[in-house]
Amino acid sequence: MQRLPHPFRPHVARWTSVALAGLALSGCKDVQQRPAVAGPNDVGGTMVIAQPGEPGTLLPPLQGQQIEKQITELLYDRLAEIGDDLNTVGDKGFKKQLAERWEWAPDSLSIAFHLDPRARWHDGQPVRASDVRYSFALMKDPALGSPGLPLISNIDSIAVRDSLTAVAYFKRHTPEQFYDLVYQVFIVPEHILSNTPPAQMKTAEVARRGIGSGRFRLARWEQGKRLELVADTTNYRGRPKLDRILYTPTPDFNTAITRFFAGDADFFEQLRPEHLAQIAKDTTRRAISYATLGYAYLALNNVDGKRPGQPHPIFGDRAVRRALSMAVDRRAMLANVFGPYGKPLYGPFPHALSVADTTLPQLPYDTTRARALLDSAGWLPGPDGVRAKNGQRLEFGITTPVSSAARKQYSVLLQAAFKKVGAAARIDETDNAGFLARNGDHGFDTIIELYGTDPSPSGFKQSWTTSGIGKDGANFASYSNAAVDALLDSATVTFDPARTRAYMRRAFETIIEDAPGIWLYEPAMVAGVHKRIHTTTMRADGYWSGMADWWIPAAERTARDRIGLRPTP
Amino acid sequence: MRRYVAGRLLQATIVVLLVTTVTFVLVHLAPGDPIALLLDRPGVTEEVRQQWRASFGLDRPLGEQYVRWVSNTLHGDLGYSIAFRRPVADVIADALPRTLLLVGLALTLSFALGIVVAVLQAERPGGARDRWLGRVLLVLFSVPDFWFALVVLIEFAYRLPILPPSGIIDPVMHDYMSPAGRALDRLTHLVLPVTTLTLLATAAISRQQRSALLEVMPSDWMRTAIAKGLSRRRAVRRHALRNALLPSITLAGLSLPALVSGALLIEKVFSWPGMGLLAANAIVSRDYLLITAVVLVTSIAVAIGALLADLASAFADPRIRVG
Repeated sequence: MQRLPHPFRPHVARWTSVALAGLALSGCKDVQQRPAVAGPNDVGGTMVIAQPGEPGTLLPPLQGQQIEKQITELLYDRLAEIGDDLNTVGDKGFKKQLAERWEWAPDSLSIAFHLDPRARWHDGQPVRASDVRYSFALMKDPALGSPGLPLISNIDSIAVRDSLTAVAYFKRHTPEQFYDLVYQVFIVPEHILSNTPPAQMKTAEVARRGIGSGRFRLARWEQGKRLELVADTTNYRGRPKLDRILYTPTPDFNTAITRFFAGDADFFEQLRPEHLAQIAKDTTRRAISYATLGYAYLALNNVDGKRPGQPHPIFGDRAVRRALSMAVDRRAMLANVFGPYGKPLYGPFPHALSVADTTLPQLPYDTTRARALLDSAGWLPGPDGVRAKNGQRLEFGITTPVSSAARKQYSVLLQAAFKKVGAAARIDETDNAGFLARNGDHGFDTIIELYGTDPSPSGFKQSWTTSGIGKDGANFASYSNAAVDALLDSATVTFDPARTRAYMRRAFETIIEDAPGIWLYEPAMVAGVHKRIHTTTMRADGYWSGMADWWIPAAERTARDRIGLRPTP
Repeated sequence: MRRYVAGRLLQATIVVLLVTTVTFVLVHLAPGDPIALLLDRPGVTEEVRQQWRASFGLDRPLGEQYVRWVSNTLHGDLGYSIAFRRPVADVIADALPRTLLLVGLALTLSFALGIVVAVLQAERPGGARDRWLGRVLLVLFSVPDFWFALVVLIEFAYRLPILPPSGIIDPVMHDYMSPAGRALDRLTHLVLPVTTLTLLATAAISRQQRSALLEVMPSDWMRTAIAKGLSRRRAVRRHALRNALLPSITLAGLSLPALVSGALLIEKVFSWPGMGLLAANAIVSRDYLLITAVVLVTSIAVAIGALLADLASAFADPRIRVG
């Protein structure tokens, strides 16, 4: 089994560390449940984040990577912000942002957004309804090539009623029309961007200036050295509690973790199990667990990667998929890889979603039944113990990215589990670029996916319906079941959240029964943070969503917290 | 001599052209797509990806992309970095001085230290000093760069936190320091990567230099020098060293490319944003033009380094004739 080396001490106390992890996490739970009660003097301070990569752009409609999403969401505002429960139906739970209120038309085909008159761009210009219209038009322009373009297809147009009122018109009244607009479209400044043709925006300097209306503004960005956000002190939504956030690129994981424990960085977004014992003993740092919208599964390719359109010689057979699912002790694997803080996966969905259902019946771990199922399907053991049917050996590859320690461990455990029922799996490790290439052209037998879904139920249509097969979708297993297609269609057109959940439950049940994947785990995200920094709720679609309200009590500040907002010399 | 230099430069031009052509073709043939890496989020359609490919000229046939790259390069335009969204020349202009500083300093120190250590060993071959220094050098020569750098990082930035772990300056406080404080800040950030690189390079240089010294020791002129009353130490330092410097001169010439290509693993561990880290990031993100440009700059440095080494050898040893 491969593990990354522990950077601080030998591996003798691995399970002690895991036991102590519970302590660390229970401590952080308390912190998270505590209300954000920063006092009037708790404004100020600096947080340094060790980040593996850097953004390529700071223009929201062009963002395509997690780090770009994170920084643009701190710099720019939406019309309204999704609630902590991540509801996407109607406007329930959405909180005002640039729009101080909104009105639905009687036919629900248009919504008028009334902008907050106090809202200003970071250059001091007021935010106007024309900016809303421009933001939509820019994102919709095919010449820009916005990755989010398909997600706003139901929005017809945006008109300006007056300088502070923008009216959005929709093609159809759908449960998620409000979400489609306010979640996907960030409002960007027309007066800054309109001089640049959309086709040139990807390479334009203006796309790196980051002039938004968010509570942080961009102070400087020196590639390879630092990206500094500072508090927008006159922001219409209130000044952020922190003075500044500094992103410092640290490409090597071990270096990043050393920086964090050495006090050079205050926040590191993903600790590994082996670090939790250390942080539990640390008097100045703590761990915080947070949810994400990611889930990891072994996708079993239903089609033959070498002969497009033909069923996979092994996984085209439902009985084989079910048998291999039953051969895997998922709970034991979870405990092996993540210890007590692993989160089991009950189907193709993360816990944080409103449609998640952890009571769904599962295929049991039962190697006897798995062997019997393979026998009855005609896959019989050969002289070397590997099963075969009509000359086709039960032999296949498990593709996994070399950069993921957890998935590498899982590939080894899966290989061993499959061997017990007569299946020979070989592990194909590849770099991230190769991994994405195989994903794109379905050139794999099985692949360990870690997929980050949208908060919306319609995101599942990309992943698990027939329309999601191919290069446009995320149905990596090329799974197709007309009943699931119909159920997910129904789930995304009903306005009743209870019925949505019922449709989704039936769709998930069918998918679990068909076993196009083996549900492995939900990433157990544990961030390391310096104790002087007090955090607020971390939303599953982005732990940074409340970062403007994180604070450092005046009494706990260090030298770098006290430099204030004076300009650099 | 002029004809020799001109001939070598012509050879170098052909080599550089060949190396960059092979690199250009290979990186394009490698699995993976820079656009897929840039747009790694749910819901991105193939149409959008194709639009991005077209924006960066990746939709054109490979031959056309290559001709365009050669033409642009001859006009001084190295193209546009997809990952950094900046002109390749600007990205390299940022990284190159940082690598020159780091590797230049480390090479200077390692040659100085390596030669001194070799002399100390050669003065009494087989003695206690020679044996102990030999063992230390062997360990340094054998350890993987990456592992050694991590050990240094953990020991001196975490366990004994006396030096900054990474970067080239303190990202928060640097701008608020006095001019002397800023200079000290830069210096302290140099200590760990330079020391690591110096120690690792010293091992190789010192072992080469010691062997060269031991080769000249039995020479008649050395015996004569000692017979005339010179101490062994003075004989080694005044006579043997001069005659045994050729391997180090060659090694110095061959090390010149590292000045521009950087020390990839060291730069990665210490988050030193130089050419090595740039090359690594370019490969990971399949940034075709940036990879090719880094190879272009490095291969030019290799050619120049080899030429300078030959010329320096001829200068140091009159028996060697070039041209």
